[in-house]
Amino acid sequence: MNFEQILAHHLVDHKTSHKVVATLGPLGAVDMGLSPLIRTMWIACAVAIVALTFAARSQSSLARVMRSLFEPAALFVRDDILEPIFGHHAGHYLPYFLTLFFFLLTCNLLGLVPHMSGVTANPWVTAGMALCTFGLIQYAGVKEQGLVSYVVHIVPGGVPLILWPLLFVIEVFGMFAKCISLCIRLFANMLAGHVVSLAFLCMIFIFAEMSKAFGASMIVPSVGLALFIYTMDVLVSFLQAYIFTFLTALFVGGAVHPH
Amino acid sequence: MGDLLTPDVGLTVWTIVTFLCLVAILKAFAWGPLLKSVEDREARLRADREGAERARAEAERIQRELEAQMAGVQAKSRELLSAATKDGEVLRARLKAEAEADAAAIKARTTLELAAEKDKLAGDLRKEVASLSVLAAEKLLRKSVDAGVQKSVLEGFFKDLDSGKKAGSN
Repeated sequence: MNFEQILAHHLVDHKTSHKVVATLGPLGAVDMGLSPLIRTMWIACAVAIVALTFAARSQSSLARVMRSLFEPAALFVRDDILEPIFGHHAGHYLPYFLTLFFFLLTCNLLGLVPHMSGVTANPWVTAGMALCTFGLIQYAGVKEQGLVSYVVHIVPGGVPLILWPLLFVIEVFGMFAKCISLCIRLFANMLAGHVVSLAFLCMIFIFAEMSKAFGASMIVPSVGLALFIYTMDVLVSFLQAYIFTFLTALFVGGAVHPH
Repeated sequence: MGDLLTPDVGLTVWTIVTFLCLVAILKAFAWGPLLKSVEDREARLRADREGAERARAEAERIQRELEAQMAGVQAKSRELLSAATKDGEVLRARLKAEAEADAAAIKARTTLELAAEKDKLAGDLRKEVASLSVLAAEKLLRKSVDAGVQKSVLEGFFKDLDSGKKAGSN
């Protein structure tokens, strides 16, 4: 087994159930079969639902402790991310962004737990999240400005009429590019931690191919470096959840306030 | 690793469905109560702060009122003290004047009484002297004089005495 195979084994999602084909409109026949990654995502959802609902509704001392952990994060999303961008509209979008932040955070952290899959280290998961952002941009733009005004304001004001169609195409592509950048940023950052950790651990076996003693001497530094990267991944999990939420708010805010 | 980039539309659809369901579930069960408790606490803190500011303003107002009342009381007490001092001065002057007037009246009355007593004593003395003079003259003259003659002689004597006294005093 070479390094690429080890990486593929750990990072590529493999369908575990029988093929479930569903016809989804223009997408045609899609395999909706389950996989470890989807199950991990559902576990993340269940953890988020149970923890947040318990913290929000229970009056026990444990719930109070959990509330004291979640509330600063929720207030941070509301006061430091949404209110500067959305102003008095912040309350309308708050549940979406709070869910986005906690969902990404839970998935990121759950990806660090042994026997769980790195949900956000998969580009097709982050693509789904980016599509949700794209949909929210369109929804918020049309809701706040109206359809015609939103389409007109996709191109900045003061552009010569002759350049308008060209700029319209560029701006629409820009809108997709923003979402694609969201998708790639999250996927690449979360994948990088796994790849680097695996690379450090594989160093033991690579050096062991040369000499068993050499390989044994690499155990401590390799595991130490892998643990360091693992600790960094915890920080990156929070950071990437914040960055994805903040950039989504920024892009949606651009559609809500075109000027 | 190429498998990682192989399109997996099913996974993307599951992600979107799962995430949107999570938004709906958390909005229904978690965010409402959590945000409500946060907003309640913020409202309570805001109310407490406003209450504290109101109490401070009330305390400052009461302090200003008390200071104003204290200044009024001090001014009034100074005024009362000044009025009492003035009344005391007036009373003292009045009592002094009354005492002086009483003393003057007593002195005048005493003077008059003394003068009257002196006159009375002088009259009595004159009568006594006259009797003694008549007696002496009677003895000298060895001559008996009746009461009518005695009276006319005495009157004449007194008249001469008075005129002699006035001439002497002039």
